[in-house]
Amino acid sequence: MHKFEKLVFRDGEKFYYRFSIHQRVQHIFLFTSVILLALTGFPLRHPEEAWSKPLYEFMGGTEIAPMIHRLAGSVLLILFVYHTIYWIVLFMKNRILPLKREGKLTIRSFFHQVLSMEMIPNKKDLYDIIHLWKYLLYFTNRPPRHERMSWREKFDYFAPYWGIPILGPAGFVLWWRDEFSHIMPGFVLNIAYIMHTDEALLAVLFLFFVHWYNVHYAPEKFPAATVWLTGYLTEDEMIHEHYAEYVKVMIEHGLEEEIKPQHFGGATYQW
Amino acid sequence: MNIQQTGVFWIIIFCLFVLGQTANAKDELNCTMCHKHRGLSRIDENGKFRLFYINQDLFSSSPHRRNRCSDCHTDIDRIPHKPAKKVDCTQECHITEPSGKKKFSHKTIAKTLSESVHGRYKWDGTLKSHQQDLPGCKDCHDQPLYRPLSFYKGESPGISKRGISRCKSCHKTGDFAESFYEHITSRLHKSRSPRELVKVCAKCHGDEEIRKRHELDDVITSYKETFHGKMVELGSERTPDCLDCHIVYGENVHLIESQTVATSAIYQNNLATTCRTAECHEKAGPQLASFQTHVTYSREKYPVQFYMLIFFKGLLALVMYFFLALIFLELLRRLFPCFSWNKEEYHAALDHQEIGHDKATDE
Repeated sequence: MHKFEKLVFRDGEKFYYRFSIHQRVQHIFLFTSVILLALTGFPLRHPEEAWSKPLYEFMGGTEIAPMIHRLAGSVLLILFVYHTIYWIVLFMKNRILPLKREGKLTIRSFFHQVLSMEMIPNKKDLYDIIHLWKYLLYFTNRPPRHERMSWREKFDYFAPYWGIPILGPAGFVLWWRDEFSHIMPGFVLNIAYIMHTDEALLAVLFLFFVHWYNVHYAPEKFPAATVWLTGYLTEDEMIHEHYAEYVKVMIEHGLEEEIKPQHFGGATYQW
Repeated sequence: MNIQQTGVFWIIIFCLFVLGQTANAKDELNCTMCHKHRGLSRIDENGKFRLFYINQDLFSSSPHRRNRCSDCHTDIDRIPHKPAKKVDCTQECHITEPSGKKKFSHKTIAKTLSESVHGRYKWDGTLKSHQQDLPGCKDCHDQPLYRPLSFYKGESPGISKRGISRCKSCHKTGDFAESFYEHITSRLHKSRSPRELVKVCAKCHGDEEIRKRHELDDVITSYKETFHGKMVELGSERTPDCLDCHIVYGENVHLIESQTVATSAIYQNNLATTCRTAECHEKAGPQLASFQTHVTYSREKYPVQFYMLIFFKGLLALVMYFFLALIFLELLRRLFPCFSWNKEEYHAALDHQEIGHDKATDE
């Protein structure tokens, strides 16, 4: 896989690299299957609500909607496994094999590599959370300066890593209940049912309120962020969300002179 | 028009009128003279609104279409009549049952019902406590009173034209073929959709007072929590309702038995057979029976479910309140972006803590 330019110019504007085409396609599969799962699952979760029956009919009714739900669930599970293999392969190729070639691979350096991966939460994230609360409660006038992956994005990323291992197997057991009843008691279905239905509520509420706030509802994003399509962030978004990374990239490209001051939301600071 | 012609005219009119009536039940006392009026009603002694209108269209396609009014309302022998007594479904009516040449009666069904968990007498013949709560015929067979053919799981109602054409090739006269076709098929079909059937059971099992008197769990709510209940609520015709699990496969629907009775469909040892009935979980293993259908989430009876629910609700509250508070404060912060109790100097150059340790990107 070739290295992407961290900073590109289009029509005199700066754009900062974020997601490869491979990752963007994975995201499309992810949200398509999750939206289909929610639309075919939630009417069943709240069958007595006025909206649920028309929605279920729209999604194919009691015969077709469960098929769509199972198909989308299968796609999501396959994507989950695929994505896990994807980052393990990248990790081995980019981090472990070079170390091995140099003969520096020890248990210690292996764990150092694991913990310094971009998506792994670190000490800086803890500082950023504390800093954000200080900022939100007006104890400082400087918003946190995130690196390439902010703690919120890490939380978003790990939400499926918590949700899918709970929802997926539970859904799978409920789907193949007759077959599973030969190897496990029916009581497992009771447990799977609670896991599936309650974790689904958490996932959908989180996506709807928190993730969609981050990428849709926030005033500077509304109606929608474009990074999932283009793979690049604008300079404004970069300053707002990843100021530490922004400064680093600008310095790497010898553009110290053009570094703009930090701002929050639409407001630039009067320092 | 001379007198003769006028006489013939009126005879024809009279015949049309009378034949029109006799096509269904013979209305000897001419009950429909009054009961055909849609507004025929009164408020009874208990303040309940009573409607006495008989819809001829519904009646003529009902299983009772060949009965006379007086077959069931035996206490009425003159018009106008006093308030009629309640109909006793076990009395013999004037229809001769063709297979045994006997007067027809619903007695055998009433006997089955009395042997079920809903019977009003105990095994020793004494009355059960609060027996007035227990259902008789009309507590379940109620509305709409004269329903034409309805649904069975996944099948649509009505008279099949192709089906009845076979009968009509011999039974040409009158509505005999239609009548018998409905007589037979209405017993092969379910008279209610699963969703309506759950409502029938909920008339008593959803009533808190009755549940308290008979020390029953809220099985309607717990059923509606299951996938069975949810699919039925969304209109599925292929999902089990109360009757599908509470009656032994092939047994009379009136014989719902208590879970403590050894012949009951839901007796501990029979559960696996009931779940694995044809059309249901045919391929399942016997262990499926340990699935708990009527979970009430009480700490004593269902501790696992209770604590799982607390865990997930707690997790939900924790995550959502944290992020919603954050979003709220952040939106608020945008209104006063520069305000702060202690101001920091702006510096674009970052200290070491801000940059963190140096990392290679993954791509």
